[in-house]
Amino acid sequence: MQLPSTFFGWVGFLLEKYGNLFLLGTGMTLLISLTGTVIGFLIGLLVATLRTIPTTRRTPLPYKVLKNILNVLLNIYIEVFRGTPMIVQAMVIYYGAMQAGLIGRGTPVPVVAIFIVSINTGAYMAEIIRGGIISVDKGQKEAAQAIGMTHWQSMLNVVLPQAVRNIMPSIGNEFVVNIKDSSVLNVIAVSELFFMSKSAAGAYLRYFEVFAITAVIYLILTFTVTRILRLIERKMDGKATYTILGSQTDSQSAITIHPENREG
Amino acid sequence: MQEKQTVLTISHLNKRFGTQEVLSDISFDIAAGDVTCIIGASGSGKSTLLRCINFLEEPSGGQILFHGKDAESGWRRAEYQSKVGMVFQSFNLFSNMTVLENCVCGQMKVLKRDRKTATAKSIFYLDKVGMAPYQNARPAQLSGGQKQRVAIARALAMDPEVLLFDEPTSALDPEMVGEVLSVMRDLATGGLTMLIVTHEMSFARDVCNRVIFMDQGLIAEDGAPSEIFTKPKQARTREFLSRVLDR
Ligand SMILES: Nc1ncnc2c1ncn2[C@@H]1O[C@H](COP(=O)(O)OP(=O)(O)OP(=O)(O)O)[C@@H](O)[C@H]1O
Ligand SMILES: [Mg+2]
Repeated sequence: MQLPSTFFGWVGFLLEKYGNLFLLGTGMTLLISLTGTVIGFLIGLLVATLRTIPTTRRTPLPYKVLKNILNVLLNIYIEVFRGTPMIVQAMVIYYGAMQAGLIGRGTPVPVVAIFIVSINTGAYMAEIIRGGIISVDKGQKEAAQAIGMTHWQSMLNVVLPQAVRNIMPSIGNEFVVNIKDSSVLNVIAVSELFFMSKSAAGAYLRYFEVFAITAVIYLILTFTVTRILRLIERKMDGKATYTILGSQTDSQSAITIHPENREG
Repeated sequence: MQEKQTVLTISHLNKRFGTQEVLSDISFDIAAGDVTCIIGASGSGKSTLLRCINFLEEPSGGQILFHGKDAESGWRRAEYQSKVGMVFQSFNLFSNMTVLENCVCGQMKVLKRDRKTATAKSIFYLDKVGMAPYQNARPAQLSGGQKQRVAIARALAMDPEVLLFDEPTSALDPEMVGEVLSVMRDLATGGLTMLIVTHEMSFARDVCNRVIFMDQGLIAEDGAPSEIFTKPKQARTREFLSRVLDR
């Protein structure tokens, strides 16, 4: 068989021979980073809500103590996972769980990978969401409280939807970071894009060509995701127009208002 | 006149922020149907008092009784807060919801009403404040006066027994003050129990049946508007009134 002699020759050759590997790797990378971001986001919401539980002067002491312990634990979680590299977390969790017998040879590695990305992202998200909560006017929470909503109800219905809207760019950024940084999970041999690329490169020792392809794939992923998130952000702003109901029964009398045309 | 039923009893209420005492030993009763205005200089503790009554601020001492039961131990917090509603100076409409959702949300989450009942009730009160046509608008698309009227409808939709107002017209342009005051006037006529912090002296004089003058965290004077406005007993009340009335 004649081997290619130019860069593009090699790229074409490798794509044809290992297209499948690239595709599978890309799929796995997307799966891990998307699931990890979503679960991390949910962890972040939970942590941020737990950290903001209010206490009153009539709150029983044991409950207050418990709440403080919980806060300390959550702070430790956030500090540890933000303060160490994910590649190290992956090693500690994977081999730690292995030694402890929590996972075995039969455990699918992607599950472990998603767990690691989720819990790592959760720590970052908790802080991002805390910032988002601070960005929401205090009056919103107070108004919810003033009509009798509990902490959880007011967070879920009023504060968090607004907080999340304000931090959408940061949330999107976490997803993009996860697409790229899930590559470090090749250390636990999960078949994501980087791991697959290494296998593809090894056969003909064409590291430059293979990883040039890999770089382009990562770039396409992050670029597309960024655009999609921008679209979602715009959607979340809500309709710019509204309809004045001239009469409850006669829809013909409705007038649609475009704010940009509104006086004042 | 027959004896009116006492709804709220504020008893020796204290509030400190750090070492600063903002409310000192505040005591008064509110009877059903009372329309009470609280007046006083800036910083005298009027907002803090309302916020303590609704538990947006934790009192440092004293007690609040609602229908004779301790508001903190005798009532579930959410239940108490839904019965003692609050209207804010800065409206605080939920900006992630439409006008209608603003009124529906609390009813469904707190009072567990179904959507149909909650919607009907919301539209009833939105209509009452003249905002039914705007039910699909978002708060950002409304004027200040419109926002405040929606905020009042949102509070009313919870069927409160007492409504607290903290300077409901202070953030409004002058031409919008009237529309909000006229809604409040209707509510007073309708027999709603209200506790209103206001700088609108003519409103206090005409609509309230009781005026409380606060000074430096204390109730300095408490009486019928006719007494307070025409023959105040205390020098500081006189001094305050002369300052605000000839504006
Ligand atoms: N969260 C807080 N922390 C510390 N001090 C506060 C806080 N809220 C209010 N205060 C202080 O309490 C005092 C009373 O404030 P409050 O807002 O109740 O006055 P007010 O009578 O409503 O004044 P205004 O007419 O300007 O609204 C002020 O000295 C204020 O600085
Ligand atoms: Mg005030």
